[in-house]
Amino acid sequence: MKFHWFAEVTYPHLPPDFRARNTASWVTIPAHLADPLKCGEMYRMFIRLMQQADRDGFDGLAVNEHHQTSFAVTPSPNLLAASLAGTTNNAAILVIGDSLALYNPPTRVAEEMAYLDCLSGGRLIAGFVFGTPMDSTFAYGFPPIELRDRFHEARDLILKAWSEPEPFIFNGEYTKLRYVNIWPRPVQTPPPIWVPGSGSVETWDLVIDNDYCYGHLSFSGLHSSKPMVDAYWEYVAKKGGSLNPHRMAFTQLICCADTDEAAEALYGDAVRYFYRNNVQDPFLAPPGYTSLKSVQAIAANRKKGESKLSPEDRIRASKGEMSFWEYDEKGYIVAGSPARVRQRLRELAIDLRIGQLIACLHMGDLREDIAAHNTHLVGTQVIPHLRDLWSEEADHWTPQVCQKILADRLMLEPAQ
Amino acid sequence: MNERGQGEQRVWEGGKGAPLLYLHGFEQHPGGAGFLRLLAENHAVRAPEFPGYGESGGFERLRDVTDVVLTYRRLIEDWGAGPVDLIGHCLGGMFAAEIAAFCPHLVRRLVLVNAYGLWLDAHPMPDPFVMTPDALAKAKFHDPGWAAREPNVFAGSPADAAIVRTGNLAIATKFMWPVADRGLARRLPFIHAPTLVLHGVSDGLVPLPHAAAFARLIPDARVQTIAGAGHLPMVETEEKFVSAVERFLTPG
Repeated sequence: MKFHWFAEVTYPHLPPDFRARNTASWVTIPAHLADPLKCGEMYRMFIRLMQQADRDGFDGLAVNEHHQTSFAVTPSPNLLAASLAGTTNNAAILVIGDSLALYNPPTRVAEEMAYLDCLSGGRLIAGFVFGTPMDSTFAYGFPPIELRDRFHEARDLILKAWSEPEPFIFNGEYTKLRYVNIWPRPVQTPPPIWVPGSGSVETWDLVIDNDYCYGHLSFSGLHSSKPMVDAYWEYVAKKGGSLNPHRMAFTQLICCADTDEAAEALYGDAVRYFYRNNVQDPFLAPPGYTSLKSVQAIAANRKKGESKLSPEDRIRASKGEMSFWEYDEKGYIVAGSPARVRQRLRELAIDLRIGQLIACLHMGDLREDIAAHNTHLVGTQVIPHLRDLWSEEADHWTPQVCQKILADRLMLEPAQ
Repeated sequence: MNERGQGEQRVWEGGKGAPLLYLHGFEQHPGGAGFLRLLAENHAVRAPEFPGYGESGGFERLRDVTDVVLTYRRLIEDWGAGPVDLIGHCLGGMFAAEIAAFCPHLVRRLVLVNAYGLWLDAHPMPDPFVMTPDALAKAKFHDPGWAAREPNVFAGSPADAAIVRTGNLAIATKFMWPVADRGLARRLPFIHAPTLVLHGVSDGLVPLPHAAAFARLIPDARVQTIAGAGHLPMVETEEKFVSAVERFLTPG
């Protein structure tokens, strides 16, 4: 099993009454709430934390793309990825991912990802995303009805730009280029490709048909996701796709401390800050972003999970109104001592058949020293005990060079 | 339930007389609404459902507004009744003006009703895709009580109606998102047809100054405002609407 260090780069200085103001933290969030100098401090903190994760044994360093929001202040994941690719040695650079429709022309993605792959010595994982509705349709203004077409055309162009040995002509509906010849091409031919989704059947078809790694990037944990993830695996089986767990990524907030009691004291406020200040309404569901077929499938899956997580639970969780251990019990976080976190992650990974865990080790307004402690505990006292999971299955979805580095390290330091 | 319209383009049809083509707005086809029945007393009315709306197919053939124009050019030519009187409401107004600009030989007289298609920096239009139902009702109607009684071709359950409506709005984003301006202002001067710009004055979606802007850009156009109506004067003030249209289409 593989573990990737991740954090939504959440702005930690929103006023305490932000949620009560009833304004979105996306798209139209007031600019004056962001202090640029404090953003700089925050950026430097995340670079330090991810450099530490590289030393502490994580398999990947995950970065993502969001726009016009305090929830994740990373308008270009490639910028953060570049800071890491040049200053780390071991972990994959997991860009999860670039919102393909938003780059004009999309060869920009092919070039920047090639740059990252070169700079990191072949450690890039290429994540392709549609982007949230807030990002792609509101902040960047693309008609929802066109987004998927634009994504697929851009994906075709990028893959061809990576693989064609000669300059070629691309005559797409949205992009027309006479001379495509990105220089250089990436080290890997091509980098592993991951496509996260939130339950749309069309995305399942895409990842199954192309043998990509799928990512279920929710922040609401096991009970919220189980019906959806089960439905996904059933769909894979029905279509005759690969059931290898390494082609499934899942995000999970983790709050690890020396003891269970310490976990609550260290992380409680930050967890509530994280959930409370993610206010997407009214920008979450523009018409045309999700197909009607998928809207109905997602609603049906959600309904199936109501015995474990009711609609009222979801509302309370989103408002930051649960107790720390209620968040844990409902699956939103996995918290406690290394022993408890180990056990809970093992159950989660088996239950959902996950080979790639995207571990969120910083959340909300967590202090850097606590996130560093979290990273160290998980890296040294959790991950080594879970390496056996799915070890019989080949992992084709992380870079070869990273797998070799890991294999060499495991030979030097056998698991306790 | 079809995800998007998959079948033939549906056309609501009625009446006898000179041919009159009616193009509906961005939310839905009004079905056999009262104003269409009144118009059918004096005209051969055809009111097609836009490709992709409701049960009507053909959206996949539309890459941009010129494909919309050609879709309707074919419809008018196949009708075989000669040039038509053309009424376009809301988003249908944008399309009607485009048809009149590209195919002047097919349009005898043009009526634009609270039409989208222009952008005026001084009079920005609100984003109709993020409004709560209450806010939308207030923006659309002079009397928001009309919201529950608006005519709609879809007569199924409220839950299914919401699904159909979402599918319709998805199609509308092709032409209205993020700003309902696809360059129509450059083409309005090419319209030959005498044009009536009708506008419900209480419209909170397309502010009143847009009516004057249309009339400025179309060579032979005049504005008539309708008090006591918002975005849907044909619904809120049915008789005033029909009599204004009739006076314009059949002068004297």
